[in-house]
Amino acid sequence: MQPSAVGQVIAGLKAAGVSVICYLPDSLFKQLYPALDRDPDIRTIRVTNEGEGAAICGGIWLSGKRSALIMENSGLRAATEPLARMGMGAGIPVVMIMSYRGDLGENNWWAIPHGMTMEPLLNAMRIPYRIVDREDAIGRAIADAYAWSHTAYYHSAVVLTGSIVR
Amino acid sequence: MNRFECMQRLAARLTDELVILSLGASVDEWYNAAPHMRSASLFQQQLGCVTPEAFGLAVGLPHRRIVSLDTDGGMMFNLGILATLGNEQPQNLFVVVWDNECYESIGGPPTHTAGRADIAAIARGAGIEHAYTVKTLDDFDRHCAEGLRASAPYLLVAKIDRSVRPDIRRKHSDGREDKYTFVRHVERTENIVIMGPSEHN
Repeated sequence: MQPSAVGQVIAGLKAAGVSVICYLPDSLFKQLYPALDRDPDIRTIRVTNEGEGAAICGGIWLSGKRSALIMENSGLRAATEPLARMGMGAGIPVVMIMSYRGDLGENNWWAIPHGMTMEPLLNAMRIPYRIVDREDAIGRAIADAYAWSHTAYYHSAVVLTGSIVR
Repeated sequence: MNRFECMQRLAARLTDELVILSLGASVDEWYNAAPHMRSASLFQQQLGCVTPEAFGLAVGLPHRRIVSLDTDGGMMFNLGILATLGNEQPQNLFVVVWDNECYESIGGPPTHTAGRADIAAIARGAGIEHAYTVKTLDDFDRHCAEGLRASAPYLLVAKIDRSVRPDIRRKHSDGREDKYTFVRHVERTENIVIMGPSEHN
């Protein structure tokens, strides 16, 4: 990620009122995580898997604070069980920011399944999402995700791809 | 040791804490054992989510004591949270694990704690210094007193028998209604808005 894209993500999160980030680090967002760790206005929590991160974010929402789960899109698969239970069973929302592994341009064989499964899984879960490939669209996408999730009380996702992450 | 009696002991110590609890028969038991905590308790049907959600709540409300009522099956489902608690060291989180060594709700097939797995030992290995196993009501009560005033994460594994309290009133609400009840309680007691009005535009 370019420093400018990292800055757009962090600015977007702050503008949305986010104060806690749960993350499991990945390579496409490699520069984002240490920047979040350094930010004095944001508390970061490293998790052991994305499902745990989703559940922690659910608890943070119950406290009235705003959080985000940041991860590679493969983490969606790990997070599906708690997301289904919290979102569909109770109406506890989680906003996710994920990197798009397996998008056109992917050059790692192991990442191809992440691309194949992401959108079908988001659609199966009825999770609205926006795929963003321009830096100047990051802030609006994050703002819209929080507006929607805190109206619907359901999950949403912003997926970053293209020149933003490569 | 009997879970309902343990719950009554714990409930007697609670006033303004917030509770998140696991699935199965323990939901109806807590509903009856702690009637004064009903709106302060989030009744969830989420294997593996209970302690992570409680931790999230503890992060968001650091001045408030949070109690997680988890289970052996629920904790074994997501052991990673123990390592996260070990690293993060929340100062306001008390975790009780009801360990009856079985999946009680589906008739009682054994969990791994019926074998060689020891959740308190796993927790200590994950960095939770205060992690204990108790087998008597008095020990349970004593550790509740400690856990509720601890300034480090405190995990208590309560080895309980498989009996379920008979003839108790069942909770009629679902997860969605329970969430609204809990959120309104948090809003009222914290003087904050979590689920506010819609915009008119």
